[in-house]
Amino acid sequence: MSSATPDDAAATLPPLDSPEVAEMHRRMRRRAGRGRAFTYVAAVMIAAWILVPIYFVFSMAFTTQETVRSYPKNVLPFIPFSADTMQFFLESEGVLRGLWNSVVVAVITLVLSTLISVPAGYAIARYLFRGRDLFRLSVLAVRAFPIVVLSIPLAVLFLRAGVFDSVYSLALMHTALALPTSILVISSVFASVPYELEEAGQVFGATPLQSFRHIIVPLVLPGIAASGLFTFVLSWNEVFAAAVLTIDNRTLPALLLTSLANAPDAFQFAGSFFLMVPSIVFMFFIRRYLFNMWGQVSK
Amino acid sequence: MRARTWRRHLVPYLLIAPAIVYLALFFAYPMYEGLVLAIYDDDALLPLRSEPTSDAAEVAEIPQGTGLQILDRQSRAMIDDGGGDLLTEQWFRVSGAGDTGAAVDGWVSEARIRVREEDAAGNPLAGTVRPRLGQSADPLTDVHAEPNDRSGVVGRLEQRAPVAITEVALLEVWFLVQPADDPGAAAGWAPSRYLQVFDDGESGRVHRGTAGEFTTAFIERMVDDRFFGPALRTTLLIMALLIPLQLVLALVMALVIHARIRFSSGFLYVFALPIGMSDLAVGILFFSIFTGNGLLNSILDGLGIIDGPFAFLTAETTNWIIFAIVLAELWRATSIVMVILVAGLQAIPDETLEAAELFGAGYWQRVRHIMLPLLRPSIQVALILRTILAFQVFAVVIALSGGDVVTVLANESFRQYVDLRNDNVASAYALFILLLSIASAVFYLRSVRAESEVRAS
Repeated sequence: MSSATPDDAAATLPPLDSPEVAEMHRRMRRRAGRGRAFTYVAAVMIAAWILVPIYFVFSMAFTTQETVRSYPKNVLPFIPFSADTMQFFLESEGVLRGLWNSVVVAVITLVLSTLISVPAGYAIARYLFRGRDLFRLSVLAVRAFPIVVLSIPLAVLFLRAGVFDSVYSLALMHTALALPTSILVISSVFASVPYELEEAGQVFGATPLQSFRHIIVPLVLPGIAASGLFTFVLSWNEVFAAAVLTIDNRTLPALLLTSLANAPDAFQFAGSFFLMVPSIVFMFFIRRYLFNMWGQVSK
Repeated sequence: MRARTWRRHLVPYLLIAPAIVYLALFFAYPMYEGLVLAIYDDDALLPLRSEPTSDAAEVAEIPQGTGLQILDRQSRAMIDDGGGDLLTEQWFRVSGAGDTGAAVDGWVSEARIRVREEDAAGNPLAGTVRPRLGQSADPLTDVHAEPNDRSGVVGRLEQRAPVAITEVALLEVWFLVQPADDPGAAAGWAPSRYLQVFDDGESGRVHRGTAGEFTTAFIERMVDDRFFGPALRTTLLIMALLIPLQLVLALVMALVIHARIRFSSGFLYVFALPIGMSDLAVGILFFSIFTGNGLLNSILDGLGIIDGPFAFLTAETTNWIIFAIVLAELWRATSIVMVILVAGLQAIPDETLEAAELFGAGYWQRVRHIMLPLLRPSIQVALILRTILAFQVFAVVIALSGGDVVTVLANESFRQYVDLRNDNVASAYALFILLLSIASAVFYLRSVRAESEVRAS
């Protein structure tokens, strides 16, 4: 506890040029300096807590299989670098196909969900219509629903419809998962572009479509790309539905999950490297939109 | 002009229409189906008919699994080839010379004809009548007007008489059955595909029904499952350990980011890295640390803390497995809470914090008395989100425990569907997870509201 509680300070404010105030300022600055140092220490420690495990698994993904099997490993200074594990992983049966399936599913999901959520996001951001809040709320509610709950009945329905075990039906499912977030993010991207810009374009003689095309699109494109990247990563990572909905046409996470029990460790580590890479790249590009994307769930 | 305004009013609805249609088709409808799967048994009841045809009057409905006594059998033309354990019988349309010497043309069961000649495609063309064994057996074979036993007899054939086969009919066998443990119950006919006939040919059971019924059987089977208790306990335990830790860590991370130190955007990038990470990959990542010849053992050994590897992830060390799961989830899912909290912190006006500082409030006082109260809505959202996601924890658990030693609810749903091929119980688990999620969301919303009402009054 410092010498003065807020109430005391309010009651007896000394004149601004008095030595007490100067002393107070010094104290505050010193405290701020100590706080600063403490903040840096905390920041570095947290960064290490996040980066060190990533380093661990990446070093395991790029080493020899002997090193993966060996014990004890010389963690420091370095685990020997080699492409051996990676090569073993990529040459294992089904891996290249799984990678390709993952790419196909993620790209279809990206395209489909962007096509559907751009108009919906625009409508939420630009129009006041009856049912707007209801629509927003239901989209929010849908987003909170468990994937598990959706996967099982969808698998049963797909099986009944004869489209089970297909990358296309998995992409349909992933689109349903990605849509809510995609709609909300894209609507916040549109909302961040002032409507006056669109009007200004029309004042200068552009048709609504022209002003949309030449003024709005360039401004929202990065945001929509960020949302698309998010969708891609969501689909790339998704494992429960992928494992339930496919048998032969496994995506990479489904393949990894179902081979956990009998695959060698080296296979798993190399696989987890492939699962992580897109998200690391993605986070670099969407840093700016992070709070746009997740901040607004609290509104 | 009026038409135009009308059109303009329609524009937003047209824009959101694809999203609504898509979510209805791939979200609302499967949800509804999931509910139906969990509480409605499609195969619960088998109707018995007064005659061996599907349009005959229904005499009784007996539940799936009932033991049966078989009183009689009959073959009837198949309605469709709708799966199941079909018991079929072929009937041949034959023509030949009857016992009286007159020409006979009619239907005989495959059991009575030995096929002697087939065309290239394997269709029977000609054959002979099989002799009946035994002294008292009737040496003659009935020829029927239609391909079933109950139709009229149009003639009779001598044994070993040659016949030409002109037509083949595939028939399904129907059984006249009665519940075995209740001799007073009405007997009725049912087709073979719904029955399981035991080797003696006189008894059997109802394999599956055709009429549905609401049932709690699947939910009971889920609750009685030996993995249900452990799965529920582990899920709740992980949640109880994880969420408080996560909230504290996320708050520290958010305060660090909010302090706007140098390299802030770099730190934000690193802190946010786990947001996009696959839960399976993170599970494997922590497996690489905790596994027997893994990195944690190597480091501890290198530092001389332990002597030889310690097995963290075995059936005897389930507490260590849960610890590793909590750590992995803490690593993976704290960043999203941080982002929500940072967004909340950014919404607090700088003036408020500056004013507090001016009045001498220290850093912790500002955190405790200003930031935390103002962060309340963000914390609420984060809690709801994390709790719902904690009910779904899945891949991390599989990666660290194999899914047997330590199990969670989502894993049981997966096991029921993938390993045991039991859609209904799997859906019951999914429904249970959904109910828990909704209940916890409502709980958070109400408790926070109640608290703010107390404060307001």
